[in-house]
Amino acid sequence: MSAARIDWRIVAAGCLAVLAAIALGGRGGAPLVTEMLLMALFASSLNLLMSYGGMVSFGHAAFFGLGAYGLALAVSRFGLPVAAGLACGPLLAGLLALVFGTLCVRLSHIYFAMLTLACGQITFTVLFQWYDFTGGDTGITGFMAPAFGLDERWFAVVVLGVVVACLLALWRVVNAPLGITIRSVGEDPERVSASGLNPRRVQLTAFVIAGTLAGVAGSLFAALQGNAFPDYAGLGFTLDSLIMVVLGGLRSFGGGLYGAVIYVLLRNYVPLLVTEWELVIGVILLLVVLWSPEGFAGGLQRIGRRLRSEPRP
Amino acid sequence: MLTVQIVNGLMEGMMLFLIASGLTLIFGVSRIINFAHGSLYMLGAFLTYQLVPLFSDGSLLGFAVAVLLGAVLAAAVGALFEMAVLRRIYRAPELMQLIVTIALVLIVRDLVRLVWGPNNVSVSMPDALAGAVQIGDSFFPTFQFAIFGAGLLVVALMIAIIRFTRAGVLLRAATDDRGMVALLGIDQRRIFTATFAAGSFLAGLAGGLASPFGNVNYLLDTEVIVAAFIVVVIGGLGNLYGALAGALAVGVIKSLGVLYFPRLAMVLIFLVMAAVLLVRSMGRRELQR
Repeated sequence: MSAARIDWRIVAAGCLAVLAAIALGGRGGAPLVTEMLLMALFASSLNLLMSYGGMVSFGHAAFFGLGAYGLALAVSRFGLPVAAGLACGPLLAGLLALVFGTLCVRLSHIYFAMLTLACGQITFTVLFQWYDFTGGDTGITGFMAPAFGLDERWFAVVVLGVVVACLLALWRVVNAPLGITIRSVGEDPERVSASGLNPRRVQLTAFVIAGTLAGVAGSLFAALQGNAFPDYAGLGFTLDSLIMVVLGGLRSFGGGLYGAVIYVLLRNYVPLLVTEWELVIGVILLLVVLWSPEGFAGGLQRIGRRLRSEPRP
Repeated sequence: MLTVQIVNGLMEGMMLFLIASGLTLIFGVSRIINFAHGSLYMLGAFLTYQLVPLFSDGSLLGFAVAVLLGAVLAAAVGALFEMAVLRRIYRAPELMQLIVTIALVLIVRDLVRLVWGPNNVSVSMPDALAGAVQIGDSFFPTFQFAIFGAGLLVVALMIAIIRFTRAGVLLRAATDDRGMVALLGIDQRRIFTATFAAGSFLAGLAGGLASPFGNVNYLLDTEVIVAAFIVVVIGGLGNLYGALAGALAVGVIKSLGVLYFPRLAMVLIFLVMAAVLLVRSMGRRELQR
């Protein structure tokens, strides 16, 4: 976790790289980049909990799914315009994060994880079973044109703008006094409470921020696909986000970002070579945990350190 | 109707206990939440599917041999995984241990799909258990009772092993205080490997026993692991008797829930799970650790 100031050169370089990928990526490029960006935001929101708050959530997809359903329900059931629906998604996710978070932060470690699992599965089951309102397992489709009917490339640019704004806001949060408090609660809650702060309130704040950002990602994902399915809130997406954070690198701000890029690339390109892409991800995950527990980001840092201390002749 | 559902619930509960017992055993000793428990269950089911035709053309004994052999193979996979992977990271944060079990989930799922394909397979029931038993004026599949009996047998065996054998003493000691066991000069690694193998055996056994009931496919793993988590949490993580009580309770709640509010049954179970977690945590330091 380096200096708190935003390095605009890196931001600009990253944006340019993404824009180049969108412009040059051909037919399949833009949707792939969009998915990558949304997964990056989703994983980064979980990373706030895991790397900074010391909280491992097993139900994070609930907020991604609620973001998607917030949009889909607002448009299809309440007749709101899509723009207003896009605000409803994150709002719904944030509200439920407040409710679930209030309960979950009472527990810690594995018990916290189990309670988030229960909350996530409750959300999934309600979406899955409440046919009259959520459409059950058939989901909600046809409430809007996928990607607002925009050209896929333009939609990718819009998503890039939103995701960059969210990640910059997240960067500000983790480097503000709030972020430092979140980090210290993650390290040692008792010491934080000894210094007069309420660790649960800090954790709840982090939980709501993470849930809302996951909701933003979920809403845009629903907008990209033009649909919402219960699976978006299911265990599969939760595991995806956990895997992305670990692949990308725990204890690093960019962990979610790197993880999403690696994961989405693997998921899209490995099946072209072998059908067993999950096997490949599983083996990679094992290797990462055994040999580079801090993920891709940790590996990068190690290489960087080595280069600096051992300059080439 | 009520009694029928209660009996059904108890039957399903025993199945849930068979699934959850291994998970809670492993957690009790090594504090590892084994996400791959459902995968070992699935492996047990597929191995039984493969082995049944070799040993049995409908005979009960052949079926039992196939199930046991499948469970032993699942135990071997579990032990191998423990020795090759988990052993290296017992000192890492809990999250890392969890992540490698998730990696195992992905690996097993794809291997299963590679070997047995993506479609449902079905295991034929042994002839002796294919009928139905009449109680009052309702009929219950004989096979359910056989599973219930098998569950009771497993409970009895586990209690006997835990109470009366040296392995059981070591297991209890390791659950209570790992450090102390190590100080007494006992090789912890062997305890961990043995526990992981035993837990995997139970998972494979459950998968094999349940295989004639319903479909066997590569999606079983997540279904089962969530059910096992619910039971283990309700029963108290690491607590075998709790798991038995929790499993029977969940089975009955589920089948009564289906009767009275069919759509809410699953939500109800998760609400119970959440309530148990919250209530048990109040005033208990141990849970907060």
